[in-house]
Amino acid sequence: MKDKSKKKEEQLAADAVTTSATDVQEISSLAEATKSTAAAEETIHLIVFKLGAEEYGIKIEQVKEVTVTPSVTRMPRTPDFIKGVANIRGDIIAIMDLEERFGIRPAPLTSDQNPNITYTLVIEARDYSIGVIVREVPQSLNLSMAKIDKAPSFLQDINIHANYIEGIAKVNERLIIVLDMYKILTQDEIQELKS
Amino acid sequence: MKRILIVDDSFYMRTMLKNMLTDAGYEIVGEAPNGQTALELAKETKPDLITLDVILPDNTGLDVLKGIKAEQPDMRVIIVSAVGQEVIVNEAMEYGALSYIVKPFSEEKVLEVVKKALEE
Amino acid sequence: MKSREQEYKEIFIAEALEYFDALNRLISELEKRPQDDQVLAEIFRMLHNLKANAKAIGYLQISDLSHKLETAFGLIRNKELSFSDEVVGVLFDGIDMLGELIGNIDGEFPVEPDQVLLRNLDIIVDSLSDSTIELAKVQKFSTSRNLTLSDLIYIQIRKLDHLMNLVGELIIDRDRILSLSRELDHDELKQVSSHLYRITEELQYSVMDARLVSIGTLFNKFPRVVRDIANAEKKEVDLELSGQDIQIDRNILQIMTDSLLHLVRNAITHGIEKPAEREKSGKPKTGNLELSARSDRESVVITLADDGKGIDLKKVRSAAVQQRMVSADVAEDLPDSEVFSFLFEPGFSMAKEVTEFSGRGVGLDVVKNAIDSIGGRIRVESEKGKGTTFTLQLPTSIAVKGALLFEVDSIFYAIPLIHTDSVVALDKDELHEVSDVLVADIKGETVTVVYLHELLNTGEPNMRLGDKTRLQGQVQNIIIVSYNNRKLGLIVDKLYRQQDIVVKPLSKPLDSIDLYGGVTLLGTGKVCLVLDVPAITKYFISKR
Repeated sequence: MKDKSKKKEEQLAADAVTTSATDVQEISSLAEATKSTAAAEETIHLIVFKLGAEEYGIKIEQVKEVTVTPSVTRMPRTPDFIKGVANIRGDIIAIMDLEERFGIRPAPLTSDQNPNITYTLVIEARDYSIGVIVREVPQSLNLSMAKIDKAPSFLQDINIHANYIEGIAKVNERLIIVLDMYKILTQDEIQELKS
Repeated sequence: MKRILIVDDSFYMRTMLKNMLTDAGYEIVGEAPNGQTALELAKETKPDLITLDVILPDNTGLDVLKGIKAEQPDMRVIIVSAVGQEVIVNEAMEYGALSYIVKPFSEEKVLEVVKKALEE
Repeated sequence: MKSREQEYKEIFIAEALEYFDALNRLISELEKRPQDDQVLAEIFRMLHNLKANAKAIGYLQISDLSHKLETAFGLIRNKELSFSDEVVGVLFDGIDMLGELIGNIDGEFPVEPDQVLLRNLDIIVDSLSDSTIELAKVQKFSTSRNLTLSDLIYIQIRKLDHLMNLVGELIIDRDRILSLSRELDHDELKQVSSHLYRITEELQYSVMDARLVSIGTLFNKFPRVVRDIANAEKKEVDLELSGQDIQIDRNILQIMTDSLLHLVRNAITHGIEKPAEREKSGKPKTGNLELSARSDRESVVITLADDGKGIDLKKVRSAAVQQRMVSADVAEDLPDSEVFSFLFEPGFSMAKEVTEFSGRGVGLDVVKNAIDSIGGRIRVESEKGKGTTFTLQLPTSIAVKGALLFEVDSIFYAIPLIHTDSVVALDKDELHEVSDVLVADIKGETVTVVYLHELLNTGEPNMRLGDKTRLQGQVQNIIIVSYNNRKLGLIVDKLYRQQDIVVKPLSKPLDSIDLYGGVTLLGTGKVCLVLDVPAITKYFISKR
């Protein structure tokens, strides 16, 4: 297990090199953060990204790598939230858009964003990988478990089914919705893909 | 389709038996070249019948027979032996083997013994 | 041709040589530790197997010699014979002789066992402790011994599967490197990559070749099967086999086994008539069943022909109407080839009764699915009263396929060649709008044609498959594909060359989408979607 997580750190750090210099600092801090996880029991390590105007997080254990989205081949007659397939290190994986998946209205582009560059989180499910596309550079965040509200009661106005949400993290003024990707990718969901 | 497990240390013998039995419409669920594998496969595949060679590299056919019968008392087992092993065959019959085939065997003989054993 | 006898012989020799090597090792160990029961038991077991196997296959000299040696070791085991120097010498000689006999099974000059040696063996066995009888000197075999290893190895199919997958990955990377070297226009790189190309190509064919088995390994099981089914059905059937030496991928043959068995059962139970009935209609009493294989370009064609009562098209039409697969008036107008295709629809059944061997609720649709799964084709021809012929066209190998590459709406696609009939270029004016679809006269045949861009990319509510105005340009490139006796023309935007591709299966969750049989990576690194012809045909039918 140790080896595996170490590899992941290196992998993530290596991927970060392919992005811009400022991104490198952000993503390579992932490695630092993972190390401290081992020391303090009660922390949780998230990869944080934006969908629409809100911030979402996925536990780092569920993320295999973060990369600049390579060229995506559209697959006609698949649901809209499947953007297509892409070749990532020789593996052909599906690329999914969670904004479309959950009907979240995309936020308008900010002036410093390049509309042609997006990022892909490669999620490692039990027996396959899938890419999740995001517009802004994902960030790494290490926080205490105590900051996660397990039973949020104010979720009614969010489009995402409560089952997929692990909790809500409150960090300073930020609110981060923690998703359980494994649940999103369960068999029932896959069945819905059949057109 | 009746399911059969073949236990024999010789690949040649297993191939002959397998061909004869599959041609006759039986399903071969496994082939074990030694006693250990035989015991594992017997447990795993739960065949309708086992053909068991009496001389195996790790333990004797008799031990394997006892092992199988201890776990699955109703398992049908046919002993495959050669001339000169009558003593072992007799002992095997006492431990619950249904019948035996003597090498070298003819296809007719094998099918006859197998068919009869499956009817019991 | 590799008959079963040949196969047995090869296995026997390979195993016997293994035993011979082990015996040499064991007897040397025994010389050092004469009391080791385990070593003795091993020697005993091997001689025992050698004796039984040799007797079964009919190499009596080997079985006799093994028997003599087995007896001798049996005595040693029971402490009735001591492992003395003299005895050891004779036993070594005996084992050498065994090796000689085994090694010469296929030799030009048959070897006779040395009579002196045989007598010596008899002496040590019979005289037991009486050592007064002289053992004669035996000409030494070991002085002229060559070390031989078996020419045959056995390998698990999953190891070959793994090798095949690796070769597939290698080919993809090779193509990428080749195209990069052209882009970079670097002479040395071009040279190396073209060498790499040849080597990997040879590697690919070698691995494919290692997985090939002769179709006879399956065909030779049928005489017995046919006899049993015919007996149960009280019919007389002659089975004619041909093409047993045609080679095919072992996994493809494995997948086809049940299907072929099903077709043979069907032919006997539903096709061939009882003897009396046959005589009444002026046919020979004994029915004829022909199972043959032949090679055809990149595929293997298996045909199964019976001279039975044939398929009654009228009955198929009415059964299809009854089972609500088609309306009565449409059924009336369908061409025969399309009527035959109902036979392969899920749940379609003609059999009124379930006999012991056929029926059981398994229909031709299962056969068809098996063939679809390996990218093959099945066709049926039948004439009432004359008989039925099933033709199965199967790929020789699973992983690498010839395919036609094309582009629709800037996406690359490939269709396996096994499903393509021809490629034509037609002027827009040669396409006609007929009842919501486009049709064209192609070589005297009316073929339904569909604009793939419309079928794949237009939102389903707006799809207008019979609207010529949706077409772009004047000349239309059309790939004619064929599935289940139905032809369909696919209009594509750009047509590229044909190419060998390695199909990678789609990973989850996309693997549940039928339209795509997988993907392949082009030399440019671009992902190319492999269209599944059965699925695209079905999708078209559902949308028209």
